[in-house]
Amino acid sequence: MAALIEARDLTKKYGAHIALDRANLNVEAGRIVGLIGPNGAGKTSALRAILGLTNYEGHLTVLGREPMRDRTELMNECCFIADVAVLPSWLRVDQAIDFVAGVHPRFRRDRAVAFLAKTQVTGKRRMRELSKGMKTQVHLALTMAIDAKLLVLDEPTLGLDILARRAFYDALVNDYMDETRTILITTHQVEEVENLLTDIIFIDKGRIVMDTSLEDVATRFAAVAVTADRLDAARAEKPFYERHILGKVVLYFENADPGKLGGFGEIHTPSVSDLFVAKLSGGAA
Amino acid sequence: MNNNSTWLIRREFWENRAIWMIPAVFGGLLLLAALFGQVSIPHLSSPQESEEAATAFLGAVGIMFYVVMGVYSSWYLLDCLYTDRRDRSILFWKSLPISDANSVLCKLLVGMIIIPLVYFAAADATALIAAFILSIRARASIGSSLWNGDVWWQMQVLWMYAIVTTAVWYLPVAGWLMLVSAYAKRAVMLWAVLPPLLLYILERVFFGTNTVGHTIARRLTALPSVSFNGSNHVWTHEGGFVDNGASPLPSVWQVINPSGFFTSAEVWIGAAVGIVLIVAAIQLRMRRSEI
Repeated sequence: MAALIEARDLTKKYGAHIALDRANLNVEAGRIVGLIGPNGAGKTSALRAILGLTNYEGHLTVLGREPMRDRTELMNECCFIADVAVLPSWLRVDQAIDFVAGVHPRFRRDRAVAFLAKTQVTGKRRMRELSKGMKTQVHLALTMAIDAKLLVLDEPTLGLDILARRAFYDALVNDYMDETRTILITTHQVEEVENLLTDIIFIDKGRIVMDTSLEDVATRFAAVAVTADRLDAARAEKPFYERHILGKVVLYFENADPGKLGGFGEIHTPSVSDLFVAKLSGGAA
Repeated sequence: MNNNSTWLIRREFWENRAIWMIPAVFGGLLLLAALFGQVSIPHLSSPQESEEAATAFLGAVGIMFYVVMGVYSSWYLLDCLYTDRRDRSILFWKSLPISDANSVLCKLLVGMIIIPLVYFAAADATALIAAFILSIRARASIGSSLWNGDVWWQMQVLWMYAIVTTAVWYLPVAGWLMLVSAYAKRAVMLWAVLPPLLLYILERVFFGTNTVGHTIARRLTALPSVSFNGSNHVWTHEGGFVDNGASPLPSVWQVINPSGFFTSAEVWIGAAVGIVLIVAAIQLRMRRSEI
């Protein structure tokens, strides 16, 4: 099956600053992809390009369309929540539902109403009167009621407390996700999404550093806690990152022979957060 | 008008409640004045005098609403592509399958036609009720003369004519305001005023001529002389029925000058400039999201 999002040499410049530098991306249907990078890495630029909000250089198709040229058609099949704080303060909840129901051919009002019925949010309230968590619920209700193929979330839980964040991701996985949908999430808070992702893309300084599925992480990467006497032998296997914790040294390997590594110490699969730090710390070994 | 446009226009009313609240409050104040203000309308003996009184009364109400409308519409157009970028809600609107051209053109329609229609309706309602109040207060023939059906119909024609000609004449101004609104990161008012002012100053300093200043000043002030017949227009004739009592009042059909207006090159050159500016505003709207 063809990729839902396909980017070749995607480049975005702001004057002399290069936000995206010949990035290549492939997102397949039915996946939950995390686009992860530090602040200013180019995540938002990539999303803006994918959503048709900004122009770019290079080749980019989303759902088979050119986003900038066909944004209107694209938005029939693709939703996005760019930070939860963007519902206008003057808008009433019932007006928001009416409006989206009026303009979006794939919006199912009953679904949005059913979702909101489970919350404290009532129809006559204006967004300015709602807490950030409640606004998130409204935005989620609107978005999840749209029968879209692709959902893009840009730092969706920024500024939310832990309860609201957990509720957001639970709703996303339990009520929204199924095999016909694809979700692309950007965040710099890796820990909070690593359990729900199927794929991870690391981005740093405008370049894609890593693009892999979580199934592959286990076979590709290994972290070994090495004792001091075996350190030199282990270093000979070319780890790409070293971490010193409590007198132990953890070495991170990519595509190394597990048989050899076993001799140095205990092997485990690195978590996404560990990998993120390891990959982006830029070969500290 | 497609389905999306209907929703976009409704949206503007949700966001900008001032569209109807300002004329409602303004009309209310005028009615309070009619209720409690001094009534000193001279006794009107002839039908001609009463017709003139009705014209002056309806005209005065109309002009007041028209002026407030002009101020509010300008502000609306300058603000309409800016606020949702500033509060980032543009990211919500752009997540919906509505084209930028559709959004921008609906806002233009609201600013140039729909807001004037709201003020027109408010002016009519105010004039009706005020005439009723005044006629009861004065108890004489004044009331019926203020309420001259024929003059009232002429005023309707005048309003519709004024709305259409205003929209066409001020299209370049509206286009400029929307372009600024789509472009500026802050201080829209300064962005609207400073570039033309700078052009004017540069022209004065380097060429000693005043084409820019003259063109802008003419565009802002010359609509009455282009859209109405110059000799006997009621609009600019202060208290026409008092000092002009002898000559018969011209009918609306003699006052308006559609053939002159719609064949004027100046009108259509301006409209063309307006269209270019609006297309540019749409292009900016496509590329700019939050500030």
